[in-house]
Amino acid sequence: MAALRDGDFGALQILLKAPSKDAVRQLCQESFSSPPAALGPLAQRSCSGLAVSAEEAEQLVSALHNLTRHVVYRGLTRAEDILRLFPENFHQNLKNLLTKIILENISAWRNEAQASQISLPRLVDMDWRVDIKTSSDSIVRMAVPTCLLQLKIQEDAALCGNNPVVSALTVELSKETLETMLEGLGRIRDQLSAVANK
Amino acid sequence: AADKIHLIPQDFFAELCEQIIQHLNHKIPGVNTAELCQRIQTSGVEINIGDLAKIANILSFLFSTAARNNLSTEELVTTLGSATSTLPKHAVQVIRHVWNEQGKAIAVSEDGRNIVTVGQFVDMKWKLGVAMSSDTCRSLKYPYVTVTLTVADPSGQITDKSFEMTIPQFKNFFRQFKEMASVLETV
Repeated sequence: MAALRDGDFGALQILLKAPSKDAVRQLCQESFSSPPAALGPLAQRSCSGLAVSAEEAEQLVSALHNLTRHVVYRGLTRAEDILRLFPENFHQNLKNLLTKIILENISAWRNEAQASQISLPRLVDMDWRVDIKTSSDSIVRMAVPTCLLQLKIQEDAALCGNNPVVSALTVELSKETLETMLEGLGRIRDQLSAVANK
Repeated sequence: AADKIHLIPQDFFAELCEQIIQHLNHKIPGVNTAELCQRIQTSGVEINIGDLAKIANILSFLFSTAARNNLSTEELVTTLGSATSTLPKHAVQVIRHVWNEQGKAIAVSEDGRNIVTVGQFVDMKWKLGVAMSSDTCRSLKYPYVTVTLTVADPSGQITDKSFEMTIPQFKNFFRQFKEMASVLETV
């Protein structure tokens, strides 16, 4: 978990060398999204664009990562709260620019944080089909309706890095088992409404 | 894996055969290998679930083939043939006993249940939770639904699959199931 460190604000002032506001914006977004392990490569990619040394790039990227993640962690949404984070002598215009960029991105970043938290495998897709079994090697004629359901489940993204493992679970349901399922789902829905009304 | 059969104590082996026969008779949806394996391990026997699953498959195939060919107990034991010399005595005894008692009852049912090509849904367990806080967001308040589906795979073994859904995903999930149910009604 990234915490703001003393040297971070000093490092942020390296942004004054950035060629444009868009470059700053881009770097903020990349620094937020990058996990700590990928900050090194990000710094290397950025140092030529910013005309800074490799060491400065590393300190900068790390500071941006810490600042943006700190804001998301604390759930800060108002400009004054973010401005208050900066020390007294920090460059005014840069402070305002960074605050503006953060506010623009804050809800997307919050969603990203929620989506990447640890969790059980997630449902990513669901397909179904209703069939009628008309015949088999043991029964010549019948008309048994049946449901085929395929769930695509993605393993915990945090564990798989950039190659999430998606497994498919194919399940057959009869009328009875489908009823059981619906009953269970109905209860979840009732609970949700009860919780929402509190 | 057949040589691992001698590791399984007689009473557990009997229970495994019983479950397999009951599954073939459609009395239970599947064989709970995971649970049985855990109990065998707790009793001090070192067997892993993969081997137990293979043994269950072999026995299931044995019994279902015997049922299809209407084998008597003696015929079954004869078919085991050369295998009986490598199978431990108690295993052959259990197979003979179980077949004698219940083998003939394995009837080909008239309702299409024994056409198993995909997993069969057995049960669903659920939980509605709210993630309060995480290392990325101190105040998360993120509701989610966790579901565990119990499925009997085509070989009759029961497995659990758990996954999470967001609330919008859950609502869609529910809607799809209602769709499926109404289609099943009209078909």
